Amino acid sequence: MTTATNLRTVPLARRFLTFTWGVVALVVLVLAIALIFQPSIFVDTLVTGGMWALMAGGLALVFGVMNIPNFAHGEMFMIGGLVSWVIYQPIRDAFLNDPKNMFLQVVGPIPGILVAAVVGFLVGVLLETVLFRALRKRSRDQWVMNTFLLTAGVSVMLVNGDRMVFGNDYRGVPRYWDVHSLQILGVPVAVDRIAVFVIAMISIGVFSYFLQRTRTGRAMRAVSQDETGAQMAGISLNRIFMLTMGLSCGLAALAGAALLSIFPNSPDVGVQPLYLAWYVVILAGLGNVQGAIAGAFIVSLLQTLAVTYLGLGWVDVAPTAVIILILLFKPSGLFGSEVKGVWEQ
Amino acid sequence: MATVTAMPARSRKQVVGRSRRTLAAAVALILFAIVLPFIPPFTGQDYQRYLVGAAYTAALAVAFDFTAGYIDIVNFGFAAFVGIGAYTSALLAVDLGLPPGLGLIAGAGAAGLVGLATGMLTLRLRGIYAAVMAWFVGLALMGLVRNLTDITRGSMGLNVPRLLGTDDNLPYYYVMLALLLVTIAVLTYVIRSNVGLAFRAIGQNLQAARASGINPTRFLVLNFTLSCAFAGLMGGFYAHYYTILTPDLMSTTRTIEVLAVAYIGGRGSLWGPAIIAFPLYIGTELLRTQLASLPGLHLVLYGLLLIVVMVYWPGGVAGVVRKTALWWERRSEKAADATTSSAS
Repeated sequence: MTTATNLRTVPLARRFLTFTWGVVALVVLVLAIALIFQPSIFVDTLVTGGMWALMAGGLALVFGVMNIPNFAHGEMFMIGGLVSWVIYQPIRDAFLNDPKNMFLQVVGPIPGILVAAVVGFLVGVLLETVLFRALRKRSRDQWVMNTFLLTAGVSVMLVNGDRMVFGNDYRGVPRYWDVHSLQILGVPVAVDRIAVFVIAMISIGVFSYFLQRTRTGRAMRAVSQDETGAQMAGISLNRIFMLTMGLSCGLAALAGAALLSIFPNSPDVGVQPLYLAWYVVILAGLGNVQGAIAGAFIVSLLQTLAVTYLGLGWVDVAPTAVIILILLFKPSGLFGSEVKGVWEQ
Repeated sequence: MATVTAMPARSRKQVVGRSRRTLAAAVALILFAIVLPFIPPFTGQDYQRYLVGAAYTAALAVAFDFTAGYIDIVNFGFAAFVGIGAYTSALLAVDLGLPPGLGLIAGAGAAGLVGLATGMLTLRLRGIYAAVMAWFVGLALMGLVRNLTDITRGSMGLNVPRLLGTDDNLPYYYVMLALLLVTIAVLTYVIRSNVGLAFRAIGQNLQAARASGINPTRFLVLNFTLSCAFAGLMGGFYAHYYTILTPDLMSTTRTIEVLAVAYIGGRGSLWGPAIIAFPLYIGTELLRTQLASLPGLHLVLYGLLLIVVMVYWPGGVAGVVRKTALWWERRSEKAADATTSSAS
């Protein structure tokens, strides 16, 4: 909590000899070694890291502003993929008749992805207005834990609602952009993955700009620092909560839509992204949005290393073990969290 | 939640009367559970299988409530501990030929040990951090079981010998019912002892408990270990009853199912989850088998119920029963007052 003041008094050399900086340095070092000897690890880390950053950024935002540890975040990913699939299918069928039309080929997947983000936003707004507002009105006792369990219920409902309506099948597209993969650093990378990375970078850029520079974004951060103070300054809490939840869910849905070709849609497709987003958020420190974006790349590196050297089955186990170890030394996360009420509740 | 309301002093007669009523209700419920398999729809094998499942779910929910309801730690990795017990017992029976009865106890011991280690690791944290850490540990354990295919056969499933030599469901029901009653009895005994008082003190206000000389970590770990050991015991039963084990048993979904039952039943009561598990489990199983064209409907209802309970009905069924009982007592007290005052 006192890091800001400590930084000025601690000598420069000591400032960077901390555990956090050690981990960051190690990550950078491993990435640099990978860049030279095994570029595929470097490329994979960046490409998947971008998407986990989208998921984790939204999760961190909702925790920071509303103190809600969203367990249903993976289901927003699922909804995004579903919406994009529903919209993309007819479009693809339409231009299968006309494969020469390059413009349609390039633009085709975009409406699905955009609509998915919008639908995710609306679902988030709905969740806030119907559930969280009702709970907030009733009681704010043990808010963090109660909302965690509440969202667990939402998650079960959405997963099985999807199963009920759309069945248990995989609904995927082989690829959005049907072109040869590009060579990056000698590693073949599918154009879809590059597109995913570009989408992630643009969204993170817009998202950060929104949080740092716009009036509404500042209001959001104000609420996350001090709710009562923000209210006194004339910020409408309900509006900010609605927007925060919508934004977070929209980002997750966007990730789900963009990754449709890698994560074919099924009722429980959101499970793995949910775990990963949570690894990231806990690793970085709950509610720390910028930390979450950095943490996403750390988790993605751990994952890539596990897949490369241990095999596909260990993709979740190895990062979990490492994260538990790190948390033993830094229980509040690598980048600390200065969210109100986390420790009290 | 955290407030302790000042109770009006009650006469010894009233207190005795209340505990006697509780005892009578408990005995009636136990007798009902014993004769249940002989009441018509439950005489069939299908229904008796539901009864076994319901008693199993009830026991899990009670063990879950023991941590969630009293020390206020939500063990999100609960299913993993069930799985540890199940796999320990199953592997001992498969590889070493240990009788399943001993395996159950070994399973409980193993789950308790892993629970102890997890507790020492996670319970220094509070609230959401502890829940999420327990979740991560659970995920890691599940991943381990899934990946050590040489030992556990992973997702291919492990075939396990049955607990009893019979395929009839009725004996299993009585074994499970006995396990459920033992669980409730032991955990209730602990809750009513001084240790239980410490648990409740910690759950309601950690700082105040610490200030009155309680070492929170020790009690938290003790509670967590006990809960995990019972989870492991039930896991052993699961393995030797359903005879096929997959790592799916340890997934978060399973935890949430138990969690839903515990919260709908009412946290912090032990008996609420145990009772509500029966109608809830049997109802959802019926829905699932009758409406096979709508897969997942029963889980949608679970989710919906959990949401409704969390938002509108935080005490669950036990809370409603408690309120009704209190209201009833007040009413009869008033009536008694009225009669005495009119008589004087």
